[in-house]
Amino acid sequence: MDENSSARLKRRLLGIVYRIGLFLAMLTICLPGLWIVLSSLRPTVEIMAKPPVWIPQEISLDAYVAMFSGIGKGGIPVIEYFRNSLIISVTSTIIAVAIGMAGGYAFARYRFRGKSSVFLGLMLTRTVPGIALSLPLFFLYVRLGIIDTHFGLILAYVALNVPFTIWLIDGFFRQVPKDLAEAAQIDGCTRWQAFWQVEFPLAGPGIASAAIFAFLTCWNEFALASQLTRSVSAKTLPVGLLDYTAEFTIDWRGMCALAVVMIIPALTLTYIVQKHLVGGLTSGAVKG
Amino acid sequence: MKAFKPSAPFLLLLPAMIVLAAVVVVPLLLSLYSSFTPFRLTKPETFYVFVGIRNYVSILSNTDFWWAFGRTVLLLTIALNLEMLLGLGLAMLVEKATRGQRILRTLMMFPMMFSPILVGFQFKFMFNDNIGLVNNALQSLGITQDAIPWLIEGHLAFIAISIAEIWSSTAIFAILILAGLLAMPKEPIEAARVDGCTPWQTFRYVTWPFVMPFAYIAMTIRSLDVARAYDIVKIMTDGGPAGRTELLWTLVARTAYSDGRMGMANAMAYFSILLSIAFTVYFFNKLAAARTQIGAEW
Repeated sequence: MDENSSARLKRRLLGIVYRIGLFLAMLTICLPGLWIVLSSLRPTVEIMAKPPVWIPQEISLDAYVAMFSGIGKGGIPVIEYFRNSLIISVTSTIIAVAIGMAGGYAFARYRFRGKSSVFLGLMLTRTVPGIALSLPLFFLYVRLGIIDTHFGLILAYVALNVPFTIWLIDGFFRQVPKDLAEAAQIDGCTRWQAFWQVEFPLAGPGIASAAIFAFLTCWNEFALASQLTRSVSAKTLPVGLLDYTAEFTIDWRGMCALAVVMIIPALTLTYIVQKHLVGGLTSGAVKG
Repeated sequence: MKAFKPSAPFLLLLPAMIVLAAVVVVPLLLSLYSSFTPFRLTKPETFYVFVGIRNYVSILSNTDFWWAFGRTVLLLTIALNLEMLLGLGLAMLVEKATRGQRILRTLMMFPMMFSPILVGFQFKFMFNDNIGLVNNALQSLGITQDAIPWLIEGHLAFIAISIAEIWSSTAIFAILILAGLLAMPKEPIEAARVDGCTPWQTFRYVTWPFVMPFAYIAMTIRSLDVARAYDIVKIMTDGGPAGRTELLWTLVARTAYSDGRMGMANAMAYFSILLSIAFTVYFFNKLAAARTQIGAEW
């Protein structure tokens, strides 16, 4: 009896410790982001207040209104940056996924000599730090006259995304049983038809998440963009964020608002793909 | 005569090869060449002067470079190990949850959605000595009266950067290790418990070997873009105070674009490339080993 109740007590205590641990972990993860959102809604006076004001006294969308109402008021041309980011990310994602599908299919369905070294080689091109790659690209782009253009950045981002897209899409094609495509071919499809009518629809959700992943990489990239763009005509949002820190007085509220604008597309897209993403990464890599 | 007919995988991989050759390989060869010249942006004619390994010699005898190199390796070692440990802990916490696991999983991925540049900004804001959340909290709780100069003092700045780096990347480990935990069959654990294993033994000899390949996948993915730390450091301290948080990558950027010494910067860049490749190849091999070790079950 006594042993029973002490065991029960111990179990309950462990349960409480576990709950507290989980709560603290989640708090650490979420707090920084929530703090940014909150700060973007508060007046600057409150952000700067000493001693700190913990409970917001007034909430307003002023920072967002100021940001989207043009250069004179918000300080930086957010709309142009947003447009550049969108054009560059979407275009390079489409190209990278097309190339990645071809490559991923080759890895998933064919045996060829030096397969794993080709794969490692592809991955190694991805390891080159953006800043190291930006040096020769900067020089080349100046010579070719494509510095500070959408085209230049799109080209660089396609190369940046191809290796990882191939890894992911390879994984998704592996999950589609080989027999299905073979059955289609026996029934009279060509390999090309079998691919588009059987394998592609089945791997579709996976490919979509690879696309979203590629999109996010472009959307978030900074090291290359900061050196290969110079002006409003090609600067992306991450580079635009730096406009705020260049000055001596930092407009924290405006910066927070821009951060929120950047994070919302990323948040939505990541939420959509989370399940497929993990599946693609692990199956591609573990099942060999 | 039979015409040359390339194989299907070759054709399929061709576009990828062309793009990567044009944007990565050829530029890197160019930068390899220019690392042997005293090339300066302001003096284009210096591009054609060949000085042999003089750039490399002067880098290797430069203490600032070695400090940056050592600091980079230190940061990566600390960050990767802690990310792995914390990710494992987080994955196990979430795996244990009986209710609301979906929500917890989504929350867990939250930092993955932040771009490094945003992470840097967010922690710059939080660690601000005057209005930052950290100092405000410490002062309101009465732990300290003074404003701690997080980003102004060298060591503290390094710690702040490590925290930012760890916050942003632990999620990758957690999510992949969790995938491993969820994919794991339950019988071996029960068998181990019946046979009288302690929880620690069960973890060490049953769970961990199973989850290890997943941890290495996470490591490999992480090592593909270790240089993301550049974004964080660039915005948080920009290598300051007085070069105390200068990493290899910020040093390369400064040498190239602020000083305009492209030749020198390219030589440094090669060190950073080799560092990244070393990390990737190391984890890729670990991954292959772990895969064959556990291969029977898959």
